[in-house]
Amino acid sequence: MLLQQLVNGLTLGAVYTLIALSFSLVMGILGILNIAIAELFMIGGFLGFAAIAAGLPLPAAVAVGMAGAAAIAFLIEKIAYQPLRDAPLITPLLSTLGVSIILQNVATNVWGSDPLQLPAEWFDRRFQLGPVSIGAMQLVVIGVTVALVALLAYLVQRTSVGRALRAVAENRDIARLLGVSASRITLLAFMLSGALAGAAGVMISLHYAAITPYVGVETGLKAIAVMVVGGVTRIFGALIAGPLIGIVEVLTVAYGGSQVRDLVVYGLMILILLLRPQGILGGARTDLGQRV
Amino acid sequence: MLSLRGLEVFYGPIRAVRGVDLDVQAGEIVALIGANGAGKSTTVRAIAGLLPFRGEIRFDGRTLQPNAAERNLRAGIALVPEGRGILGRMTVEENLLMGLYGRSDRAEAATDMARMRERFPILRARADALASQLSGGEQQMLAIARALLSRPRLLLLDEPSLGLAPKMSDLVFRLISSLRDEGVTVLLVEQKARQTLRVADRAYLLETGRVVTSGTAAELSDDSLISETFLGGTTGRAQHG
Repeated sequence: MLLQQLVNGLTLGAVYTLIALSFSLVMGILGILNIAIAELFMIGGFLGFAAIAAGLPLPAAVAVGMAGAAAIAFLIEKIAYQPLRDAPLITPLLSTLGVSIILQNVATNVWGSDPLQLPAEWFDRRFQLGPVSIGAMQLVVIGVTVALVALLAYLVQRTSVGRALRAVAENRDIARLLGVSASRITLLAFMLSGALAGAAGVMISLHYAAITPYVGVETGLKAIAVMVVGGVTRIFGALIAGPLIGIVEVLTVAYGGSQVRDLVVYGLMILILLLRPQGILGGARTDLGQRV
Repeated sequence: MLSLRGLEVFYGPIRAVRGVDLDVQAGEIVALIGANGAGKSTTVRAIAGLLPFRGEIRFDGRTLQPNAAERNLRAGIALVPEGRGILGRMTVEENLLMGLYGRSDRAEAATDMARMRERFPILRARADALASQLSGGEQQMLAIARALLSRPRLLLLDEPSLGLAPKMSDLVFRLISSLRDEGVTVLLVEQKARQTLRVADRAYLLETGRVVTSGTAAELSDDSLISETFLGGTTGRAQHG
């Protein structure tokens, strides 16, 4: 039973990790919370659903969700962030909040406010590993998350574009002096971030075989908790915090009931922050710069 | 190679640079000297493309646009800013690789990188260390090496000796001298006037955002104003530090 819950928690945690990384990318470059990421996750989910409904295979559905969310992230950067770049930080925060409400409204009008569901037999194959039963979709969620995190880590740590991302995050002026187009890198960060959120949306909605336009708010808030718990200056802190929060959430529901789920999850977040204000991997307390 | 005409730079309502005219010929080392707040750093930051400005900056016959640092680097202007501007959360090697960011000539870039490692053995030895862990002098070497990797035709150096021990400061000045032999044109901002005039061909003295005098290094070494202010005079107009 416990092992089974751990696997379920890992699946949920994998999705939180992806969305937390999505928030971190933009946070690291710009120091702002792009609230609309939560709704990009939701839109990604609907696009994935639509792709599956149209008969596309699963990899194509993930690609559609990622591309769609990245395209919307492009528009968000151009319309709701770029013109406000020199405004106080609260201004782009509010403009992305506005975008997220608009996205939720659009989704409600396009797909309706009732949950959409896939037929029960969709992708319902399960594998029995001793006492643990793993759904094929759970394996996909964990596998795709591992692959995307590895890809992101490679991009950020080993490529010229990744170095440029980190340079802009550390010091925008110095990056520009080295020939980096900070505005192009910012746009790239938005789109990468959108793609990650979109992938997470496709996977969680297919995992539960259901989606509503309101799924973004709740999951997005948890992902922000994951990002904060992971550590202020450590982008990959989410790799520890995501599974941790996912497992705690699933175990709480299994053994304590869903009515105390959020109390435990957010209580844990506050507790960790009280003990380690810099987050699990936050490093020194003086190291409170930007991320990435 | 570089000419400034009527350069004005504002920080909000404050006019930090008030109509500076300045020329740098190819192959020269030209110094900008003056006290804190004279507008030296602001001038080179405007040339590098980090600030909006009024007036005209021409480089190799082309007019430079304000706030266009990325374009100016491609045109051949590199700035080593005050405080060195190293990326402390990256390794020494990664900082050097950032120096190659704008280059597309991969083979030549690799050769330059190898040459730079030979020229600065300390950077090779500490390639995997975080740049923030280097000493001040090593960071300055890294910042200059990184700027040189972009193959600039004009190198702007903003207070490269600031905060360095005398021995390291001498090393930096020797390095600047050697750049001339390699055909790199240098515009050097410094407060250490005596050492600066030793390596420079010509110099401009700035005070409160204006050029108050200029000439060859030899002329300025004999200039009573410079001598009084910077070379051991007692008027105390300059605040070193």
